Amino acid sequence: MLFTWFMLAGSIFLFAPQKLTDNFQYAFLRVFNWPLSIGENISLSVRTRQPLGDADVVPRREYNKLQNYRANIEGQLRKEHEKVEMLSGLRNRFPLEAGDLQVASVFPGSFDKLHGELSINKGTDDKVAKGQFVLSDNSIIGTVGDVSARGAKVKLFTNPTSSIAVEVANTKRLMWGSGDNLARIPMVTHKVKIDSEVMASSRKTGFLNAPMIIGKVLRCERSAKSPMLWDIVVEPVCDFEQLNDVAVIVINPPE
Amino acid sequence: MRWFRFAVLVLLATVLQASFFADLNIKPDLLLILLVFFAIYCDTSNAIICSFTIGFAADLIGRTMGPQMISFGLFGTALAYLHQVIVIRKMSYQALVIFITALLAGSMVYFLNSLKGEPTPQSMFAALFGIALYSALVGPFLFLPSAWWMRIKISRFSRR
Repeated sequence: MLFTWFMLAGSIFLFAPQKLTDNFQYAFLRVFNWPLSIGENISLSVRTRQPLGDADVVPRREYNKLQNYRANIEGQLRKEHEKVEMLSGLRNRFPLEAGDLQVASVFPGSFDKLHGELSINKGTDDKVAKGQFVLSDNSIIGTVGDVSARGAKVKLFTNPTSSIAVEVANTKRLMWGSGDNLARIPMVTHKVKIDSEVMASSRKTGFLNAPMIIGKVLRCERSAKSPMLWDIVVEPVCDFEQLNDVAVIVINPPE
Repeated sequence: MRWFRFAVLVLLATVLQASFFADLNIKPDLLLILLVFFAIYCDTSNAIICSFTIGFAADLIGRTMGPQMISFGLFGTALAYLHQVIVIRKMSYQALVIFITALLAGSMVYFLNSLKGEPTPQSMFAALFGIALYSALVGPFLFLPSAWWMRIKISRFSRR
């Protein structure tokens, strides 16, 4: 009898609308917020590496460029490992090996921080096309938006209308711009460490052959929609305001 | 049955599971270990209550409410009845029971989650196996402090 009543209660929980049952999870999180945060902090601090000494100091921008380069190389290496495992026999290509880099100048004053846009001086005459990735300081900064013959708008990944496929902590998700020089990856199932690298990836042929760094995790917050999921806030790894030149990745589709 | 001590123990395991172990890729399931512990060392009616309560606690830190309560309740009850017939005293047997219970209960949770429309992760079997294995390795060693806290004498255990 006891078993039957408990099974009935379990079934009610199972088939009740999630909005109602979420209240139980929220209540638990609210009541035990303090011990939960302590446990999370201990877990993170145990796994955090010790900071390096600052004996070898390089300029911040140079350091960021080198870090981005390292992240890209690691992304390429992972991709190459996957390819070797697949033994597909297709021609191996690094992200920029099969394409051209169209270096373009940023029009002075064209950077719009609020809307996440800037303008460049290369267009369809230089094979620049909508959707191509734009690179600066060895990191992806966004994609090409509207294009004219001799100019184009770059939709930065922080643009509120931007959505880019990314990989973070071995999870593939869509990253959405939030317009305040930040972007968000909503509804991630597990917590991600601060400063984790976010890699841009594209499944569309001819845009990007291997993941490249696009940003770093700034914050990891509990999702407002579900208490067990996380929203990740991503910040750029290069300073958009100091951009003078960018490079558009023009990759030819594989033969 | 000391219910206050039981509540403290389950709450502690729930908080640890949701915080300290949350970010680990490979982790034991503390609540599942407690499920097996109470199914083995309590009388049948208490074991049923404990199983469903632990399942409810697991649901509080899970993705949805219900699947673990049903799954833990079902397998905890089955284990309690099974223990009337078979004595599980040796640590190696306890580890085996934890391993099998983790696999069965975990599979049922995934099945019930799929009924609710939750997506099934690609690495479901690897995750199930990993949790079952680590719970089986750690579990029997946690039985001793759990028994001490619950004032259960496991060394002089006999069949009910």
